[in-house]
Amino acid sequence: MTSPPASPLVVFDRVTFYHFERTTPALNEVSFVLPQGSLTLLVGPSGCGKSTLCMLMTGIIPHLLGGVLKGRVIVDGKDVAQTAVKDLALSVGMLFQDPEWMFATLRVEDEVAFGPENLKLPRAEVYQRVEYALETVSLSRFRHHLVWALSGGQIQKLGLASVLAMQPSLMILDEPTANLDPATTHAVHELILRLREQGKTIVLVSKELDEFIAEADNVLYLADGKLVAQGPPREVVLQAGLHMLRAGVWLPEPTEIGLRLREKGKLASEALPLTIAEAKQAFSTLSFAPDVNSSPQSSVLGPPLIEAESIHYTYDRKVHALRGISFGVREGELVAIIGQNGAGKSTLAKMLVGLLKPSSGTLRLFGKNAVHWKVADLANRIALVFQNPEHQFLCDTVFEELSYSLLAKGITDPARVQERVVETLHQLDLQADAQTHPFALSEGAKRRLGVATMLVGGGVQVLIVDEPTYGQDRRMTERLMEYIRQLRQEGITVLMITHDMRLVEAHIERAIVMAEGRILYDGDTQTLFTLEEVIHQANLRPTALNSLITELRQQGITIPAGINTVEKFIQAVQ
Amino acid sequence: MSEQLLAYVEKESPFHRADALSKLLWVILVVLATFQFQTTLSRAMMFLALLFTALVVARVPWRSFWRVSPLIFGVAVLLGAFHYAVTPRFTPLFSMGSYVIFREPLEAGGAYFFRLAIMVLASFLLIWTTDTYQLMVGLAYLGLPYRYAFAIFMALRYIPLIQREVEAVQAAHAIRGRAVQSPLKHRFRLWQRYLFTVIVNGLRKAENTAIAIESRGFGAYPQRTYWKEFRWTRSGILLVLIFVFFSLALIVWERFLF
Repeated sequence: MTSPPASPLVVFDRVTFYHFERTTPALNEVSFVLPQGSLTLLVGPSGCGKSTLCMLMTGIIPHLLGGVLKGRVIVDGKDVAQTAVKDLALSVGMLFQDPEWMFATLRVEDEVAFGPENLKLPRAEVYQRVEYALETVSLSRFRHHLVWALSGGQIQKLGLASVLAMQPSLMILDEPTANLDPATTHAVHELILRLREQGKTIVLVSKELDEFIAEADNVLYLADGKLVAQGPPREVVLQAGLHMLRAGVWLPEPTEIGLRLREKGKLASEALPLTIAEAKQAFSTLSFAPDVNSSPQSSVLGPPLIEAESIHYTYDRKVHALRGISFGVREGELVAIIGQNGAGKSTLAKMLVGLLKPSSGTLRLFGKNAVHWKVADLANRIALVFQNPEHQFLCDTVFEELSYSLLAKGITDPARVQERVVETLHQLDLQADAQTHPFALSEGAKRRLGVATMLVGGGVQVLIVDEPTYGQDRRMTERLMEYIRQLRQEGITVLMITHDMRLVEAHIERAIVMAEGRILYDGDTQTLFTLEEVIHQANLRPTALNSLITELRQQGITIPAGINTVEKFIQAVQ
Repeated sequence: MSEQLLAYVEKESPFHRADALSKLLWVILVVLATFQFQTTLSRAMMFLALLFTALVVARVPWRSFWRVSPLIFGVAVLLGAFHYAVTPRFTPLFSMGSYVIFREPLEAGGAYFFRLAIMVLASFLLIWTTDTYQLMVGLAYLGLPYRYAFAIFMALRYIPLIQREVEAVQAAHAIRGRAVQSPLKHRFRLWQRYLFTVIVNGLRKAENTAIAIESRGFGAYPQRTYWKEFRWTRSGILLVLIFVFFSLALIVWERFLF
């Protein structure tokens, strides 16, 4: 870790901000200073004010989105309240969560040139900046490509290059890897660390802190709009780590284990690991119970519900999304479908609900060939919750949304509809939002409503959820997983498409790993993490917990099998 | 992940190599010529020339053309049929059993059908073959303030993204089932929701886009740099000249020789 230079680039002085027509402040008396050349992690649960804080540094707030600002924000010597966004653009560059919508041109190199062109720089300088930015993010050979032909990781890199070409004093990166596969996420993280080594001042919002927490100079921890803790990462985690965990912040698993063990008095107070290497050291004296209480596996599986044999699917006779995949799913299973971006996972999900038919091969659903199923009939048996649940909503209130699903299943008795909707609202903890527009719910509540709309009518045997943890903090994820556990107890088979390896390791027994339209692996998740070749080919990475356990075992420490969560690790420590 | 219907398609063709301004000029010329033609036959020949240009010169795949054909012909057919129905009939041309086809409604229907189909096809050809950045640079070269040039550019840039959004919403709605007995009512509700969801998400994303480009300095100065220069191309000028001669030839033919 490099020591931060002294001169401040960003100063927040008792900043309070109210969004337009809101009475509760999004930020409340927030004060901090960020030195030049520092890497700062901005962490906090969903809705805590992270995006508001980022937009304050760019001037988007208050200039473009309005609201009431009290206190002073100074960036690169400019008072944000007194400086137009276009003038702040000379000092601050921001990479947004979904950079595809930030792109203004068609070609990679034109996109990078867009910012410098706006600054009215001479052509030669624009050219130089484009060269530098593309070179830095390793996109030079893609410079003539169309932006929509790029992969997810390349889109993020292009977003970074576009910001870099502006040569801002401060770079703000808001969840730059939210929807990328683990290996691509790692590549983007490495790039961010390289930029930091080049002396860039970076503010990073991310739930994936594993690779940054030991490298960062500062952590700002926000909760309910208040800056609960700030300072070097170790100090902040020591001071507020448990608070962060309870509030729903994802901390690296070794750090979480360290905090929990310290709380239980099983770890020396000065030892709080931030990385796997530190954890290896800190936990080297621990001893473990010979075995742990593994969660009961669903031992009795029912008849096969999905049988796929050599399925191919080609989009517009050009793009081969599925290349001869075969697998089966039996009643009662919980299966993760994982793999690199563009591996064919979402295509497979659409095929399973009848939206696409195989180009060749045989897919049998509930014993009947998929080509003979109508989408509407299949919807009574197999449900898909899309990545963006908003796409599924059809009504103006949460209550109507659930009623719609019941009516679609032929349940027309008003008393029964009322009773079932009220019961589901209670189950989802959405009673207070019954008359709220579905689009106005929190992200976590939207996701739960998305699942409920597909299941409320009953009869569904298979539920497919696409990226259930996208945009969700830890608390929301745990709540959703609790709901899914309940569904499984009711006998529903669940398939999850996800990039979240922590989720897979902790909750899912069987994984189907896909890469380039093929299945690379189909088996239990614990074995998967030992198969380096598969992990590499499918752009996956083992979780920090998994890597830690492997390294501790290599040190000669005996750790029982079946530890797949932080809780189990802690239970096993004697 | 389906094919984007109305987006730039990268191909190596003389039409793609033509500069954006010549192609824009060509669209204007084709449309103006179509309004000058007096016979359905001339308009039909212009349409065929356009089809040849699209499929052979610009190498637009048949499949792409086929997929957008409802857009090209849909409204044109309705408009043509409407004018066929309302135009007074005087001169019988031929009969099919007891049904007599008259010259005047056929001419009127044909005129409206081909005018619209030609306008739409020429515009689509511009979209399929033109890098919108080049179009923006060209419009700025003509002296159009860059904010206006950029508005056109952005509209074209977002057509494929909106198409993807519509497809996602359609797919999601398809598996929700039908809550009302009437298929028409159901279809109406779905369309209502497509519009609502696409508009709400479109507005949100448009706001994000506006914020993102402003934070990248858009509008910082009355002028901006274009790192690529606009250049007229030989293939572009040739395209315009060929269609000027072709249009004039058709006008002369239908007025003096037909």
